[in-house]
Amino acid sequence: MNELLVLDHLTLAYGRGAPAVEGMSLSVKEGELVSFLGPSGCGKSTTMRAIAGLLTPRSGRILLAGEDVTAVPPNKRGVGLVFQSYALFPHLTVFENVAFGLRARKESAAVIRSRVEEMVAAVGLAGFEHRLSTDLSGGQQQRVALARAMAVRPRLLLLDEPLSNLDARLRIEMRAELMRLQREYGITMIYVTHDQGEALALSSRIAVMNRGRIEQLGTPQALYAAPATPFVATFMGFENVFTVDGNQLAAGDGSKLPLVQQPGAGVQALAWRPQAVTLGSGPYSGTVRGASYQGDSVEYLIDSAGGTIKASAAAGSNFIPAGSEVSFDLPLAGAALIPAGAGA
Amino acid sequence: MFEKRSTGVLLTLPALVFLLVLFVLPVMVLLTRSLALPEGWGLGNFASFFSSELNRTIFWRTLRLAATVTAACVVLGYITAFGVLSYTKERRGMLTGFVILPLMISPVARTYAWIVVLGRTGFLNAVLTSLGIIDSPLRLLFTETAVFIGLVQLFLPLMVLPLLSALENLPRDVIPAAQLLGASRLMVLFKVILPLTREGLVVGGTLVFTGSVTAYITPAILGGSKVMMLETLLYQRINVANDLTGAAVIAVILVITTLAANKLLRRLATPRQRQEAR
Amino acid sequence: MQFLSRSLLWLVLLFLLGPFVVIVAAGFSAGDTLTFPPQGWSLRWYIKIFTIPEFQHSFVLSVWVGVGATLLALVLGVPVAYAIARYRLPFGETIRTLVSAPLIVPGIIIGLALLRYVVFTLNAPVEITLLLGHTTLLIPYAVRVVSASLDNLRSDIEEAAVLLGRSRLGAFFAVVMPNIRGAILAAFVLSFITSFNQVPVSLFLSGPGVSMLPTQMLWYMEYTYDPSIAALSALLALGAMLMVFLTERLLGLSRYM
Ligand SMILES: Nc1ncnc2c1ncn2[C@@H]1O[C@H](COP(=O)(O)OP(=O)(O)O)[C@@H](O)[C@H]1O
Ligand SMILES: [Mg+2]
Repeated sequence: MNELLVLDHLTLAYGRGAPAVEGMSLSVKEGELVSFLGPSGCGKSTTMRAIAGLLTPRSGRILLAGEDVTAVPPNKRGVGLVFQSYALFPHLTVFENVAFGLRARKESAAVIRSRVEEMVAAVGLAGFEHRLSTDLSGGQQQRVALARAMAVRPRLLLLDEPLSNLDARLRIEMRAELMRLQREYGITMIYVTHDQGEALALSSRIAVMNRGRIEQLGTPQALYAAPATPFVATFMGFENVFTVDGNQLAAGDGSKLPLVQQPGAGVQALAWRPQAVTLGSGPYSGTVRGASYQGDSVEYLIDSAGGTIKASAAAGSNFIPAGSEVSFDLPLAGAALIPAGAGA
Repeated sequence: MFEKRSTGVLLTLPALVFLLVLFVLPVMVLLTRSLALPEGWGLGNFASFFSSELNRTIFWRTLRLAATVTAACVVLGYITAFGVLSYTKERRGMLTGFVILPLMISPVARTYAWIVVLGRTGFLNAVLTSLGIIDSPLRLLFTETAVFIGLVQLFLPLMVLPLLSALENLPRDVIPAAQLLGASRLMVLFKVILPLTREGLVVGGTLVFTGSVTAYITPAILGGSKVMMLETLLYQRINVANDLTGAAVIAVILVITTLAANKLLRRLATPRQRQEAR
Repeated sequence: MQFLSRSLLWLVLLFLLGPFVVIVAAGFSAGDTLTFPPQGWSLRWYIKIFTIPEFQHSFVLSVWVGVGATLLALVLGVPVAYAIARYRLPFGETIRTLVSAPLIVPGIIIGLALLRYVVFTLNAPVEITLLLGHTTLLIPYAVRVVSASLDNLRSDIEEAAVLLGRSRLGAFFAVVMPNIRGAILAAFVLSFITSFNQVPVSLFLSGPGVSMLPTQMLWYMEYTYDPSIAALSALLALGAMLMVFLTERLLGLSRYM
């Protein structure tokens, strides 16, 4: 497959300030859906603005289908963007919002009409063409924004936290809708989110970003199974992260647990999901600070010599009340082994 | 606690009585003078006003100047507002201050400054002569152009303020959204920015247009007796001819023009009917 | 693009403010007529304007009328603004239209009507008529500025004050007044400037030895072409700048415009 988008050592900054994104390189293949996953403020939107042409890079190049577009203005790039705020034109109807880009391209009335109808139907809004965009619900506005961006058949569609303004149920529904549209139209997409579940569900590949850099790039499976840095591990739900310090495990706050089994050379850190922590037996002990019932499981916060440990047990198992002493184990078999030298 | 309407009415009463006695009543009596004819009531005074060629010239000049001044203020207003918005938030306050400063300065002083700039021996002629662009001084004062310039300077701030606030309150990201859909700068301006700032445009336009129609100082100083407008004509009817009826006719024309302009522009401000797809 | 729009902005500002720089310079002329470049420099015109009795009298009158009309307009206008903000008034729309009508009717008509039917018919002194005429014109400003501030103030704070034992009037002064003080001061400054600069209403309202400063300036410049009016205009402009600068610093005046 061809590489549609290449980011080549991009450094991005606002005004004369410190760079928001530094030395970023990435390539996206035709038909892929790549997610940018990272906490708020890590530079996801900034990168999107640069790809769209709304922000001129301080240095580095952006290639689209092999052509250097770093200096091409946004209206000539053929890149679509769905804004987090939707940015619908409040003075125009749904029809005119979707038709806007086609009119800019001076398409004929017949083409405009059929394309708009197709896109409006594709997002499930047939019959709403003549409503003002401001009269629609959040979910409907989101669909209009999507139809508007896709109507011009962009080479690349960027979506900046497109679902973050919707309620949880609608988010899941729109997620499925998006995947269907992506398959149906085969559009290459870059999807920005701070929600790991969303990224795992949608993406061909995920780029986990932290402080203006990509920490790890890989398939959802690879990231979930083998996070390359402590930061990625935390983001992927490995909530108990320890660096290996000789024969000790060091938590972020400096507290330590003895290391029972050496993980082997080249391992910088170990991380466990709450489910991987075994309760009731093991070499470590602590006090249950809190237990919260989750339906199918119980989540525990345990104060130990190694700081607060997050553990999770099936709901059927013995309930351990807060305040009791409990012993636990961090089995090497259930840990993610984070290699030295990778990431920050 | 605020359900007793009589308390509310009582609070407004002093101001209402004041305005009725000292504003509504005298103005109404004055305006009805325009309908008084020697043999009863009628529109005869208006007919004779418009039968004079000079009066017609002054009437059309007033409308023409008001329209061109408004148009110029619209263009300059957007230019100024875009310029202010191209600066960071901290700088904008100071620049807005520069723009509204003239509003606080006596219009007599403001207009007189143009005499100093545009006069025969004034600043502009001196500069142009010393640069060798002209040999003999240009006649700039007491022309319609001078009145036009004076009015634009006087009223431009009234246009910039509402436009600035309309542009600052533009919905987030609509301009980049339009660009990304392929819109050129012109299309962004005409299809996105203008429609979304129409209310500010109408507020500013109303202020500038009615201000220009009812301008007195600028035509009096910069137009002199050669370039009269309706208000200078009204003043002259009283001071030179002591013609109260004639003055009342002009007063009615002024009031009708301002009210009509207000109504018309307000209609433009209400959003268009939902656009139908063709 | 940014460079272009900034350059255009500075050109517009030059157009708006440049003439003031020119009159300040013109006022420093040593010559007897307004010419450019001025024939030498002196302070004589800046000094002379203080010695012309007409200017002295009209300046004093302008200040008195400005302060008096502003206070009167506030006394009449603040209760209206309060009533509009808090009560469902009968004929509310009519009341609102009436209190803003003086902005729409050209000032020269108000002045002429007052001259004919208050000065001539009722034999009222010109100074009093000027005061009343200016008050008419300032009521809309007082109502508008104070209304805007009251709209942002929740009415339940007064209910709370009354429940805590204050009288209605006491509650107004205890909890409403402190919150709208800024707006009232802003209305005061705006109204005073408006009155001080106002010409059309005052144009007809003058008598022997009684005229407002701007009207006096208009007459003076009909007969003389010396730089004294330039000097006076420059001083008025500087005074206005100072006033705006101070009130912006103290109040954030532009919030209320
Ligand atoms: N318009 C701007 N001007 C200056 N700094 C900005 C601007 N927008 C974002 N930033 C800064 O750039 C960094 C990255 O922001 P952003 O890309 O919006 O993050 P994200 O989308 O990942 O939440 C942040 O530190 C933010 O404060
Ligand atoms: Mg963002």
